[in-house]
Amino acid sequence: MKSELCGCVLPLPKEQDGVNLMNPIVELIVVFGGTLSLSVPFGLYIARMISYELRPLEAPLARVENGFYKIIGIDKDKQMTWKEYSLALMLTNVIVAGFIFFMLVFQNLLPSSTHVNGLSIDLAFHTAISFVTNTDLQHYAGDQQLSVISQMIPLTFVMFVAPASGIAAAFAFIRGFIRKNFGLGNFYVDFIRIILTLLLPLAFGSALLLMLLGVPQTLQSSVTINHTLEGHNQTITTGPVASLESIKDLGSNGGGYYGANSGHPFENPNGLSNTYEMFLMLIIPLSFPIAYAKLVGKARGVSLLLTILIAFGILLAIAFSQVSGPTGLETRFGSFGTEFFNTVSISTNTGSANSALSGMSPNPVMSFLLGMFIQSVPGADGTGIMYMIIYVIITLFLVGLMVGKTPEFMNMKINPKNVKLAVFVFLMHPALILIPTVIAFTTGNAQSVLSVPAGKMTTASGYTQALYEYTSASANNGSDYLGTSANTPFWNWSTAIVMFLGRYAPIVLMLAIAGSFTVKDRKEAIEPIRTHGPLFISILLVMTFLLTALTFFPFIVIGPFSM
Amino acid sequence: MSREKEFKILEQIKSQINKNALSPAIKVVILMLVVTGIVYPLVLVVIGQSTLPYQSNGSLITINGKVIGSKLIAQDFKSPKFFHPRPSSASASNVDPDITSENALLQISNVSQATGINQNALRTLVELNIERNRVSNMVAFAPDYVNVLEINLELLNQYPDVYSTFLNNADPQKTTAGITGLGGGES
Repeated sequence: MKSELCGCVLPLPKEQDGVNLMNPIVELIVVFGGTLSLSVPFGLYIARMISYELRPLEAPLARVENGFYKIIGIDKDKQMTWKEYSLALMLTNVIVAGFIFFMLVFQNLLPSSTHVNGLSIDLAFHTAISFVTNTDLQHYAGDQQLSVISQMIPLTFVMFVAPASGIAAAFAFIRGFIRKNFGLGNFYVDFIRIILTLLLPLAFGSALLLMLLGVPQTLQSSVTINHTLEGHNQTITTGPVASLESIKDLGSNGGGYYGANSGHPFENPNGLSNTYEMFLMLIIPLSFPIAYAKLVGKARGVSLLLTILIAFGILLAIAFSQVSGPTGLETRFGSFGTEFFNTVSISTNTGSANSALSGMSPNPVMSFLLGMFIQSVPGADGTGIMYMIIYVIITLFLVGLMVGKTPEFMNMKINPKNVKLAVFVFLMHPALILIPTVIAFTTGNAQSVLSVPAGKMTTASGYTQALYEYTSASANNGSDYLGTSANTPFWNWSTAIVMFLGRYAPIVLMLAIAGSFTVKDRKEAIEPIRTHGPLFISILLVMTFLLTALTFFPFIVIGPFSM
Repeated sequence: MSREKEFKILEQIKSQINKNALSPAIKVVILMLVVTGIVYPLVLVVIGQSTLPYQSNGSLITINGKVIGSKLIAQDFKSPKFFHPRPSSASASNVDPDITSENALLQISNVSQATGINQNALRTLVELNIERNRVSNMVAFAPDYVNVLEINLELLNQYPDVYSTFLNNADPQKTTAGITGLGGGES
């Protein structure tokens, strides 16, 4: 194949304009077509898990699960009130956080981990809270600061715990609307069933596929190369990446094995892995509206799904309106593959960007911030649908005020207490974002991490970075600009508190709402305001964007708008 | 019932709740830790090492049995005889193994000057690499790009005389390249 003998001029890869437009369309169709068509069987399966109906392979699954219940010593038929359910969820999460904390502080004492140091108290605390709350904000670089054991045992494990807790909360929440006087289910039963029969099989199969595409899976912490082609030394960090990667995306976690997260070639080797990881992030959040449709009425569920999809389409359109990069982006994804992946990743509150956020143009950044402000288009596994139902309740209340009727949801009256709780859930988010942002600036901690020279004003992009950090923390997202530079006691403690409150306070409040609905009388009358159909979809969409925009508008204006 | 009695009963109930609540929480954590933190990744390691050893170990490329790099991780190229990767600070990962097709085409004249290899021959190699990446991305799922290490190894393979110094670097005993791992593991 000595082609230097050929004197002819070979044609350049032409027709690029046509290709450039076609490929994104094909990719969009594949991602959404694939996810939506698979969300139907997954959604129906989730519905069966919520209502304890027979699942495929029920007998062998039940046998394994019953074994687990026996070891743990629980009665699987014992129903919990919303308080018991919240308590069990919190207890389990706190124990896991404590375990991660100790594993990370003492990681250097474990076998074959002498090359790393134990994390500092504040960084370990931050990381433990970050992972257990499904945030995965990382103030460390995993490939440099963690051992294989730390990545595998505490972190891969917590990546199952966090989404399983969120999904369990959503199960209990939805049960509140469909079951009368029957409790919200049993947290431990849900938790075990979600891990064993939903997350684990999907994560396992996906890890195999990712390995096929080039994601490493080994216990070797690194490969040392003595002679690259030019004779240099090179050390390449490897490890059990695929097993972490698949649950990272499936469970809306987002904590990367490497500091560069999904931008690193070992986490996301090519366009196919990029596409498959988008599917993984979307599948559970988009299956929930289907499960909802199965359990509370087809029209209601489909309306919710359409609302989510239209809102998500708006976020994508905002992101695609401006080209990003090439600085800070990976060549194999290009601008489209990066903006698409990041919008999916951030709006599902996974937060595993495949580029540096500093490489993204202002419009995509605005889309990311909007996604994190709303938290439910489509949002994280479990909590996404819960927030969406909160928007439904707030919308019903506001529309009820306009037409002068008592708001009802699923033929049950929404009383003032429920409205108060729902509004509290909604307002907690801006409070958890804006108050710490202001504190960070007034104490000078923001300026020091952004390295603003003394006496100089913070730039719009600097301000955006600080605002983004707390938005990401409160939304339990995990994407960030600051990364390892935020590894200071102030940022570690403050974002840890924000993540904790941003996760558990809304979950407990939402379970309280579900708890009060479960004892309500159901009328057979027609709802005064229908919660399905085109009119409701439009109102819900307008309300969701309007409420969010009104709350955050001033902060977007001085942030990404001015970048 | 007196106040004190009431208080005592309340205390008893409290401790009862705590005891009953804590035990299943601890047990479920330990059980799930074993299943998802130990069994799950280890089973995947075993499957990966036995059925997909190339990918599982980081897509390593060897010349005459010596590992010279990973297909997925950029390495430094300073010599004008090679194609060069992006500056590490310009990418997200700092180890972006690829360059755009435009970038690769721009580098052709420099490589040709340093090596004396015909520009058209270099262009063919670039286009073959682009085509291979298109196939492994099923065309639609990635933009066109060139893997820098792969194209440099292709040069080494086809023009061993031009690159003999680098071959000797890898293995002083041998002069011809026996490259393995190139293009391996593509789906």
